[in-house]
Amino acid sequence: MIARPPSVQPGLASFRTKLLIAMMLVVTAVTALALFFSQRNVATNVKRDLEREFQGELAWFHSVQEIRHAALAERCRALARRSRIHAALEDNALDLLYPSARDELVDVMDGGQQESWEPVAHAFHARFYRFLDSRGAVITPRDDRDVGPLRPAEEAQLALRTAPDQPQTGYLRRNAGAAGETVDEVIAMPIISTESGQPVAALVLGFKPIALPAKSATPGMISGIWTQGLLHLPASSEADRAILAKRLTQELAAADHAEHSFPIEVGGSPSLLFYLRLNPGSLFPPAYEVCIYPLTDSLARQQRLLWQFSGAGAVLLLGAFIASHILSRRLSVPVEKLAVDSEENRTQRQRAEAELELTHEELQRSARFSADASHQLKTPVTVLRAGLEELLAGEKLSGEVREEVATLVHQTFRLTSVIEDLLLLSRMDAGRLQLNPAPVDLVHLIAGWLDDLGALPDPLELTLETDYPDAVFIEGEKRYTTLILQNLLENARKYNRPGGRIRIGIKVEDGWAVLVIGNTGAAIPASAQEHIFQRFHRGVIGENLPGHGLGLNLARELARLHRGDLRLARSDADWTEFEARFRLAPPTPATPNRAA
Amino acid sequence: MNFRLATLLLTLTGLVSPLLGAETAIDGRVTLPKTHAAPVMNKRYEIVTKGGILSTNPPLAVVYLEGNFPLPPPGPPQQVGQKDMAFVPMLLPVQAGTRVEFPNYDDTYHNIFSYSPVKRFDLGRYRADERPVPSVLFDTPGLVVLRCDIHEHMRGLILVLATPHFVVTDADGRFRLTGLPAGRYTLKAWLDSRTTLARPVELREGATLHVDFP
Repeated sequence: MIARPPSVQPGLASFRTKLLIAMMLVVTAVTALALFFSQRNVATNVKRDLEREFQGELAWFHSVQEIRHAALAERCRALARRSRIHAALEDNALDLLYPSARDELVDVMDGGQQESWEPVAHAFHARFYRFLDSRGAVITPRDDRDVGPLRPAEEAQLALRTAPDQPQTGYLRRNAGAAGETVDEVIAMPIISTESGQPVAALVLGFKPIALPAKSATPGMISGIWTQGLLHLPASSEADRAILAKRLTQELAAADHAEHSFPIEVGGSPSLLFYLRLNPGSLFPPAYEVCIYPLTDSLARQQRLLWQFSGAGAVLLLGAFIASHILSRRLSVPVEKLAVDSEENRTQRQRAEAELELTHEELQRSARFSADASHQLKTPVTVLRAGLEELLAGEKLSGEVREEVATLVHQTFRLTSVIEDLLLLSRMDAGRLQLNPAPVDLVHLIAGWLDDLGALPDPLELTLETDYPDAVFIEGEKRYTTLILQNLLENARKYNRPGGRIRIGIKVEDGWAVLVIGNTGAAIPASAQEHIFQRFHRGVIGENLPGHGLGLNLARELARLHRGDLRLARSDADWTEFEARFRLAPPTPATPNRAA
Repeated sequence: MNFRLATLLLTLTGLVSPLLGAETAIDGRVTLPKTHAAPVMNKRYEIVTKGGILSTNPPLAVVYLEGNFPLPPPGPPQQVGQKDMAFVPMLLPVQAGTRVEFPNYDDTYHNIFSYSPVKRFDLGRYRADERPVPSVLFDTPGLVVLRCDIHEHMRGLILVLATPHFVVTDADGRFRLTGLPAGRYTLKAWLDSRTTLARPVELREGATLHVDFP
């Protein structure tokens, strides 16, 4: 394991940070979205609830109003049937109108005494009434004791453009002295002539406005009536009222909604204002019921929700932080490993390349050295041999000395052979030796060697066994193939025992020619077997035998150059066997020349 | 043919009458507004209001002579009964100072009253057996609208006149005023609560003047 390169760490750290930031962003976004939507939901729900409440209260209001209208309509129908009313209106006896109606309407007036009555009953008790003539003008009573007092300005507001043919609802602002300003609901009921079916007059009654239920579902709700740019809102301060009235007037001027709502600040606290036209289509000026619901409760709920969500978001964020940390770790492990591994690989490769380069250079150097050395050695050896042979050819040497010199000559040959082998090996090592492959007949080569062997003295009395076809053509170059065979066969003869055997066999299988050369003799010790193909190695038993320890190495290198191989097949007891494999030559129509 | 014969007869009467009784009279015809209602067969009239104008249906007119002649004392009480929820007659011209009785011929209560500026009165509720029969003295000339407080559809008209010489036309608008003094007077025809036509006339003793309105 190599040390972790420092350059890996920042990349991984940034990967982890990015992952973490992404996850936290996602969590934050999800929390914010959830918060936003639930807040909006709460706000919408609150608004809807308030709207429902407002409408519920107004529904009650409207139902009371309808009952009142119905009751008054019935009353007016009865009035219209009254001959005295008709007489007063038609016979120019308006002074008699109010006295004539008094009996009829006496129970309509509350006389200011029934304040404590239940509201529904109270809703039918008028504070005043007046008649309008057929042109919609107010008929002023002579005595307003029975009909409820009104200031002239207030009375003037009751006039309509014409006598209505439908009930009309309006709201009249009245200054009730010490009690401050009040708003009276005004209902104008047509008096329809029983003869002509035309409205001949109208009865206008003023009521105390129907109060909304005292117990509102929303504490702090205040309600009032807006009409003619002024707001009657008893529960609010003067300043608030002025602001609200201004705002309402703007809203109503901008869009003539029959029903609408908008948020507004009342007394520093946010509220929701609902308004609803109380008298749609009326001949009287438009009036609106105004309800203001404080939103403090809703805001508190939203605030609570904000905290809850923030808490949940924080916990979620923490969880996400941990999760992202773990996840990023887990995700980054393989990446990290990959980075480390690739770094290791790179280092190893670089080292291997450097080593290879070095080896290659050394190899080149040693090969060059061997080649140089061989060349440098060849010339002196040749000179030496020539000198020795000249000495031998002379007459001056005694027989004993001559023997010595002859041995020296022989040694020069051996030296030449070693030099040549070294030269060849160095060429192979340097990769300069290339085969010119051509079909070579192994059997022919063996036969040649056997002929040579027969010419030599055979002190060991060896028996030769052969087992091969008539001809086996392999891919090779004759001079190098010969070297392989010579080496193997020389060894088989050299390391044999007296009276031993040599066995030469060739088998052809699967495109291979397998040459097996076995010989009797002492086995190669197991410990030495793996070294026999190394250079300058010589078998322990062959210290006194000719050779220079390059033969097997050269033979194997050459066999591999032939794209074959050479190995020790067996070496035990009295039998050592080498196996050389060669590629069979592709069959050619032209039979190769045996002599070549 | 009949018309010519009638005219001839009238002319003859006009020629003969001075000789017979020397009566001063006015006859003629008031063109009454067309009524869209079907001809009334049972002669039951009612007072209708149209745009605040009261008139009879089918239309009738009252023709009367106004002038500076000595007024005879008012005649005996007249009667406007209530029968079948209606005033009978619908339209009653009386000389100022005449008392009018309002007998109830129905089985139910009636409450006759008037808010007319000429005469405001209220007889209260009474039944048929009310004695004495409720009555009102009409002393100021003008139109009095009679109503019943119980039955709002009931209407009646009393035309109080400052003259003893008056007559209600027939359904065709024909009239004849007799027993008139000679002299220059104004002949008036009341058509409805808003419309009264006037025509100056000069009457000669024992002559019958023919006047058509308009």
